[in-house]
Amino acid sequence: MDTILKVRDIKKDSILKGISFEMTEGEMIAIMGPSGSGKSTLLYNVSGMDKASSGEVWLKDTEISGLSEDEKARLRLKRMGFVFQMMNMLSNLNIIDNIAFPAVHSDKKDRKEYYRRANELMDKLNISKLAERSIKEVSGGELQRACICRSMIMKPEIIFADEPTGALNRTATAEVMDAFLGINREGTTIMMVTHDSKVASMCDRILYLLDGEIRGELVLGKYIEKDGREREQRTANWLSSMGW
Amino acid sequence: MLRRLITNDLRSNKLISVSTVIFMAVTAMLLGLSVFLFGTLYSSIDSLMKKAETPHFLQMHTGDLQKEKIIDFAKTRSDIEEMQICNFLNLENGQIKIGDRSFDSNMQDNGLFCQSDKFDFLLDADDNIISVSPGNVYVPVAYKNEYDIKVGDRMCIGTEQLNVAGFMRDSQMNSMMASSKRFLVNESDYDRLRSLGSEEYLIEFRLKNGSDIGSFSTAYKDAGLPSNGPTITYPLIKLMNALSDGIMIIVILLVSFVVLYISVMCIRYMILTQLEKDRREVGMLKAVGISRKDIRRLYISKYLLLSVIGCILGVILAGVIAVPLGRNMKALYGEADNPVLIHVLMILGAVISEVVILFSVSHILRKSEKISAVEALRGREGKGRRRNLWIPISVITAAAVFMMMVPDCMRKTLSEPDFVRYMGIGNSQIRIDVRQSDDIGSSTDLLSERIRKDPRVDKFSVMRTGSYKTTLPNGESYNIMLENGDHSAFPVNYIEGTYPGNEDEIAFSILNSEETGLKVGDKITVSRNEGGNIEQRECIICGIYSDITNGGKTAKGCIEDDTPSMWSVMYVTLKDGVSPEEWITEYGSGSQESIKIAMISEYMNGMYGQTIRNIGNASLMTKGVACLVIVVVILLLLRLVIWKERRESSLKKALGLMASQIRMDYLKKLIFYLLAGLILGIISGLILGQRLAGGLLGMMGAKGLKFTMDPVSTFLIVPVLILASAIAAAVISLREIRNIRAYECLNTRE
Repeated sequence: MDTILKVRDIKKDSILKGISFEMTEGEMIAIMGPSGSGKSTLLYNVSGMDKASSGEVWLKDTEISGLSEDEKARLRLKRMGFVFQMMNMLSNLNIIDNIAFPAVHSDKKDRKEYYRRANELMDKLNISKLAERSIKEVSGGELQRACICRSMIMKPEIIFADEPTGALNRTATAEVMDAFLGINREGTTIMMVTHDSKVASMCDRILYLLDGEIRGELVLGKYIEKDGREREQRTANWLSSMGW
Repeated sequence: MLRRLITNDLRSNKLISVSTVIFMAVTAMLLGLSVFLFGTLYSSIDSLMKKAETPHFLQMHTGDLQKEKIIDFAKTRSDIEEMQICNFLNLENGQIKIGDRSFDSNMQDNGLFCQSDKFDFLLDADDNIISVSPGNVYVPVAYKNEYDIKVGDRMCIGTEQLNVAGFMRDSQMNSMMASSKRFLVNESDYDRLRSLGSEEYLIEFRLKNGSDIGSFSTAYKDAGLPSNGPTITYPLIKLMNALSDGIMIIVILLVSFVVLYISVMCIRYMILTQLEKDRREVGMLKAVGISRKDIRRLYISKYLLLSVIGCILGVILAGVIAVPLGRNMKALYGEADNPVLIHVLMILGAVISEVVILFSVSHILRKSEKISAVEALRGREGKGRRRNLWIPISVITAAAVFMMMVPDCMRKTLSEPDFVRYMGIGNSQIRIDVRQSDDIGSSTDLLSERIRKDPRVDKFSVMRTGSYKTTLPNGESYNIMLENGDHSAFPVNYIEGTYPGNEDEIAFSILNSEETGLKVGDKITVSRNEGGNIEQRECIICGIYSDITNGGKTAKGCIEDDTPSMWSVMYVTLKDGVSPEEWITEYGSGSQESIKIAMISEYMNGMYGQTIRNIGNASLMTKGVACLVIVVVILLLLRLVIWKERRESSLKKALGLMASQIRMDYLKKLIFYLLAGLILGIISGLILGQRLAGGLLGMMGAKGLKFTMDPVSTFLIVPVLILASAIAAAVISLREIRNIRAYECLNTRE
């Protein structure tokens, strides 16, 4: 598999103290660590939402840290997808409009095609019946799945997810993880920050962050449902060894 | 999608959207209205003066005419296009009656006039040159409403009668600030009535395009031609025509700038609060890669839509309000030459106000872009300080107070008895004018002797005006109209120096000082007439005063020589308890027609009545606008404050406070900031308003003016209106408190 993301010695103030790792295409990794360890900061710096103090981030052959703010915005729009803990959506648009918004806004010509794709994604994530609803009329799990649809609308090379299940109950968490696993199986690379060891155990690999440094790495391989319990146990033991 | 985003946004923020539209509409209306009224006034005056072929130079003259000398002078001048000498039959106002309304208390010099042959035409309501049939008279349109005159009324002059056939526009004397009014009659009637009045001449010149009126005026004086009366030039006529309505327009323009400022300020706070509300959404948009420019465009699109609605509403409102405000203008000067262009300009004025607002919106959005996606997503505020929404309430209240105060104080200043001093008139109770008499000197002597012996008179002084030749320090000759007498009894307002105390001192009006460049302390040589011999005497300029009478170019001195008087003026103040009305009646009955006795207040009302009424209209409109602004601002800002402090209010409820107690806290705070605004507004009104009003009235010639505060308006009407509007709006806004629940403060998610 080819490398899609290359992170080399990035530092951010006193939060990140020189982090390096790589991701291959189609990989799904979880970043874990206690509060204040720098997980979200790492995600924001790797995705170009924040500017690192030093170091390099390569998305395939594009070096992100050298780009201007507008170029980074364009890169995020075309080649990256984002899912956040607080399911941020525009309150004045319905679900389908919210999903299509970034795409339609950037390219008005293919409006129909984007709406067709939004419908397809909603169908895939079992929320097609919610298309015309306001964001206030759906549950947290449904809204987060809609956010995943939005992150997929431009067919991104990589999705960054910051605690995507942090505000959800167990059922909703399971629905959202099903959605992530589904799109990952289809080849989308996912980098996810999480506090939830069960969620992390579904990823191919886990990086453990402490005080702005990677302190450990657990390789689990592709998720197979029947191995779920065993992966959870392995993850829990490893995290315990890390001092979690 | 954008349309849906905007419509849903407007729907969910109704108060903010409606407030924004109101601000935009009021601003567009005021600016559009100012442009419309100004355009109409300028264009209609210009059009009237072109159609009437107003003279460029006019010399009024009483006495021997020396017609041949004038014609000879005209032949030597290549800059003259046309010249004519018209007769004006000055009537005693007590003789004039139209219908059952007497002109007894009218302060103008009213007289009969025949239509001119060459230029200076008197026009009808459709701007056609009037041809009057025998027995008919056309009345100045300025009198139509003042005396409620209708076509078909009978005009009585002594025992003679004429039929009012219509109203006429007089490009020269339309304005009430012009001191004469012409009634148009047929030549046969003029001849018939000649014995009822005293004749005066209007020596008029039309100059070729591009000719210098100033140098023509000097040449006329230097030629020693008849000049026993005021000189009036084309620019002065235009200024007088423009002033009475112009002042109202300037007040509206001033108000529109204040409202524009308030609008921009309110919209700024609305946007900042909106951005704060939308912080997470904006952060998300930035995170998913929507550029700053595109995010800005989303907001601008919304404000663009609101400004289009506001602009359309503003233009419609301006069109509606322009009708009553422009009525007087239309009656006096007729239709504007190019109404389409003026309407286009009005729309342009409204559009410009919207452009300014949109520009400020864009500026605010640009400045607020500093917060990064990460900060926004994490729910942090930007680097900017926390905004205190109470301070703009004070600032806007101050602006509203200022806006209400200035027109009221201007009206008060104009109505004050002391204001006459800025006009170059002594502040007495009664003014007596002796004019158009063959022997002004002896008429004045007789009357002044009678007054001097009258025990009811407290203070009295006589001023005799004569034309004097002078030589400036650079050797140039310069003619002045010198008013001689005791200037200490009723002193006018001196900007510099003081009144002349001896024969070697002369005071100059501002216009004379500006034209000659002479200042206090400079010297001038005056030619005196001592028993027919001309003697030169050096005089020092002792003071500069403000004057708008007789074209504003006057001088004051104490010279006692034999120069013939052109006219004389007496100022009288009676002892306490003496009725001035009775005194005037007593002196008026049986006095010669050339003697005009009136209360100074009537004199002022005649001249400034229209202007004061116009400012009154503008002041009424200003109060309405200011109250509307206060209501909208309080509704809006208080709602924003409540939104920002919602968690705090919820906590208060959780701790057991009642909604009414929380409301009372807000009300107390509001009153505190309103009072601070009131004080700030009054202070700025007095300091800045003084300069503004002084500047405006300075345009009328009354320079160095002290602004008179209207205590009733300043300390009663304005505060009551502001507080009433603000509290009414606050009561509505504070209703929201009851919707705040005690548990809201426990919910940490926004």
